[in-house]
Amino acid sequence: MGFLAPWFLAGLLAVGLPVFVHLLRKQTMQPRPVSSLMFFEQGTQSSIRKKRLRYLLLFALRVALVLLLALAFARPFFRHKTVLASDKLLLVAVDDSFSMNAAGATGGGTRLDEAKRGALEVLAGKSAGQKAQVIALGGQMSLLTQPVEDAGQLRAAVEGIQPGDGHATFGELGRGMRAMAETVHTPMELHLFSDMQEPNMPGNFADMVMPGNVALVLHRVGPATAMPNWTVESVQAPGQLVDTKKARVIAVVAGHGTPAATRTVSLVVNGEVKATKKVDVPANGRATVVFEGLDVPYGESRCAVRISDANGGGADGFSNDDASNFAVKRADPERVLFVHQASDSRSPLYFGAALAAAAQASFVLQPITPEQASDIDPSKYAFVVLSDVPSVPSILEHTLERNVEDGGSVLVATGMTESHREHIPVFGGNVADGHFYSRGALESDGFTTMGASDAAHPSMKDANGWQGTKFFYAAAVDPGSARVVAKLADGTPLLIDKQLGEGHVLLFASGFDNLTNDLPLSPAFVAFVDQTARYLSDEERVSGARVVDSFVQLRNPVNQATGAAASKATVDIIGPDGKRPLSLKEAAAAESFQLAHAGFYQIHFANGRDALIAVNPDRRESDLALIPEDVLKLWSGSAGTGEAQSTQEAATDATKSVSSLWWWVMLLLLMAALAESALASRYLGTQREEL
Amino acid sequence: MLQRFLDPAVLHGISSLDLVAKTVVDGFVAGLHRSPDFGFSLEFAEYRAYSPGDDLRHVDWNLFARTERCYLKRYRGETNSQLTLLLDASNSMKYTSHAVTKMDYARYMAASLMYLSLHNQRDPAGLIVFDDEVRNYIRPSTRQGQLYRLLAGLEQAEPAARTDFGKPMKHFQQFLNRRGIVLVISDFYEQPETIVKAIEPLRFHGSEVVLFHILDPKEIRPELKGPVILVDLETDRKLEVIPDYVKTQYRAKMDHHLEELRDRTQAAGMGYHLLTTDKPLDRALTEYLSLRQSAWPGAGRTVRGGA
Repeated sequence: MGFLAPWFLAGLLAVGLPVFVHLLRKQTMQPRPVSSLMFFEQGTQSSIRKKRLRYLLLFALRVALVLLLALAFARPFFRHKTVLASDKLLLVAVDDSFSMNAAGATGGGTRLDEAKRGALEVLAGKSAGQKAQVIALGGQMSLLTQPVEDAGQLRAAVEGIQPGDGHATFGELGRGMRAMAETVHTPMELHLFSDMQEPNMPGNFADMVMPGNVALVLHRVGPATAMPNWTVESVQAPGQLVDTKKARVIAVVAGHGTPAATRTVSLVVNGEVKATKKVDVPANGRATVVFEGLDVPYGESRCAVRISDANGGGADGFSNDDASNFAVKRADPERVLFVHQASDSRSPLYFGAALAAAAQASFVLQPITPEQASDIDPSKYAFVVLSDVPSVPSILEHTLERNVEDGGSVLVATGMTESHREHIPVFGGNVADGHFYSRGALESDGFTTMGASDAAHPSMKDANGWQGTKFFYAAAVDPGSARVVAKLADGTPLLIDKQLGEGHVLLFASGFDNLTNDLPLSPAFVAFVDQTARYLSDEERVSGARVVDSFVQLRNPVNQATGAAASKATVDIIGPDGKRPLSLKEAAAAESFQLAHAGFYQIHFANGRDALIAVNPDRRESDLALIPEDVLKLWSGSAGTGEAQSTQEAATDATKSVSSLWWWVMLLLLMAALAESALASRYLGTQREEL
Repeated sequence: MLQRFLDPAVLHGISSLDLVAKTVVDGFVAGLHRSPDFGFSLEFAEYRAYSPGDDLRHVDWNLFARTERCYLKRYRGETNSQLTLLLDASNSMKYTSHAVTKMDYARYMAASLMYLSLHNQRDPAGLIVFDDEVRNYIRPSTRQGQLYRLLAGLEQAEPAARTDFGKPMKHFQQFLNRRGIVLVISDFYEQPETIVKAIEPLRFHGSEVVLFHILDPKEIRPELKGPVILVDLETDRKLEVIPDYVKTQYRAKMDHHLEELRDRTQAAGMGYHLLTTDKPLDRALTEYLSLRQSAWPGAGRTVRGGA
């Protein structure tokens, strides 16, 4: 019981009014003249009698009128628990991250099994009319059901939760619940079944705080103490190789909560152990194992680095993370078509040397002059380089454009000759001007340097060596809607990436010789050529190992600026379980695909390339350290801190609802007023009759 | 329609007593049916055979000439009845619960009676205004201007002092040396025995005495909503009175007083009439004429010179 406007209760003082009228008012007697007092006698009412409450019922009604009026203005309300148990939404969240595949506390099953059993028990305990919802917390928060009362549907949803390979984060859960609280205003009770792994906590505790109407109940599954666990933390191996003897595989074995031990590390290629090494892993530390040479057959190979104990048995109680997959493609070196002027012998020399030194010799440069390139099929090359070519045969340019739209790539270096003409082949832009920094003002040093660069672009992953590079000439090219990857110090775009269809055209606004800049003489040139070659040959996209829940781009997205539509060619994906996760409609339109499970994905891209992608669980899941109990208490709001307290109070408030008594008071007021009127008129009528 | 002018509330709007009296009497007369008992002026009554000793002046010689029989012509009586009005002008007469005070009512009634007496009946009329003393005395007369003297006396009769019947009545006996009609107008707030004892001697001269008891309606049935302090208009004495008493004992006492006064006055051969100030004045006039007729039953049939 409370009042929305309690200050109006001051009106209760007005009760004194009827009290005064009925009880305290002095009976003022105005002397009345009469002809004679001959027949009158003295008659005095006693003071008690005079002050006696006249018309007790009328007085009571008038007092009630005043009281009810004051109450009505004070807006009384009634706080009662109208929210029944059936109105509270029951949320059951089951952590199905990769670590839940570890052995449970009882040893009879995994932690996920324990979590599902607990979730089913909670659902079995819900009342018949109560709605519940099942949530899976893996790499992302998934709502497996709508809020429903059907126990069978809820049970089926829980039982249908499969072991996942993702990395759960409680920050994601907090964000999801806060988003849900914006639309669901009824109280919610969230039961979280998880192994409460410490890496699941976000960097900021505030991210995992629940909204006010959510009561969090934590259920820890798995052993009460952290389980020691060894894992292959990372594997560094080439995605594509030509010479198996030169290939090198570097694996890092890590121990979480482990004592110092010797572990056997095996290199497995297509299920066959190719090499084995023993490594001493320090307590709770890391050890690196290097395998020289990777003997894989031609084509795609499914490789893995696996650890076991010294006797060849299981490394620890959590065997799922004892291997790390990677895919390797063995092929002959891919050719790169290098179109240059006959007079330019420096560019193919520098570019070819850099290409040979990089990319583990996966590419072979084929220099050619424009005249010889008229009948060349660009699709047979990994990519094409147009180095300082003043004129390209139109048939070649047309062929290159079609090749790019189908997924091919072209690297264009403007060079100084390009300045004599405005049109840039394939790229489509114009050279507005040529900046000869060597002919600049006296105060300049005769060159310019690198300005800003986009490190997110594959070509500029290692751009540190560019800082000392001197540029003597650069063509001023309008980038238009293309992506400017690097700029010179004066703002002139140096490297521009333009998407055409499924392919890319990368424009280098200077040259590959040592006349326009000294980049070819710099070690950074090798890295640049290596990364660019990988990017343009699309090897970057299709090689190497990925982490679960990462995305792979299936086709280039619709270019909003150019209006170029995405390719209609279908993609084909075969998952680790041998099934195709995409429907036909999705295969025709999906631009990206999330690699949700660990294993090998075989993907046929829209541009016609095939790739084998190895996917490994997030290695943070291998750290089975537990969140301290006090942190969990703080999170669930039982630690008694201010924030948790307020959260608890908010949740408690949310379970109560407020009913206004205003209408009832007004109804009583009306009845009292009617009764008072009737009674008062009756008394007045009596008086008239008496007179 | 003139009857409405008998209503005291209407008369209250007329300032002149002369006009009040004229209005009342004219309205009253116009409303009367012609009656053989009431005649005005010299009105022929009958013929009677002459008998020796009759006054020859009353012989109808015209009739004798036609019939050679001697008859006497008889008229309705024109014996004068002297009217004396005794008006109580004590303070208690000021009381009213509505527009007309008891004094106003008494004035209207007195003026009407005087007008009726002098103008219509040609009876001498006089006025004695008293409270605890005789404050004004106008000798009964039919002289020219008598009506206006009487009305002026009424105008000047403002209530003052208190009532004392004993003292002024002794003086009245000196003034009333001829029999006639004596009308006493008062509220009679005195013991009935005292009143009767004081007024009774007036009858010894053969006068007919009638008491007009003027009371306000609220004096008979007072209304009190709560305890109240009452102030006596004559003595200024204050008394706290409660409603319960007024509803019960006062009414009983008043009823008993009225009853006793009526009984005692009638036992003493006097007339008694209770008039409330909300009633029309015709009752008083009727009473007067009735009284005049009944007081001298033979007078009405007296033949001039031949009785």
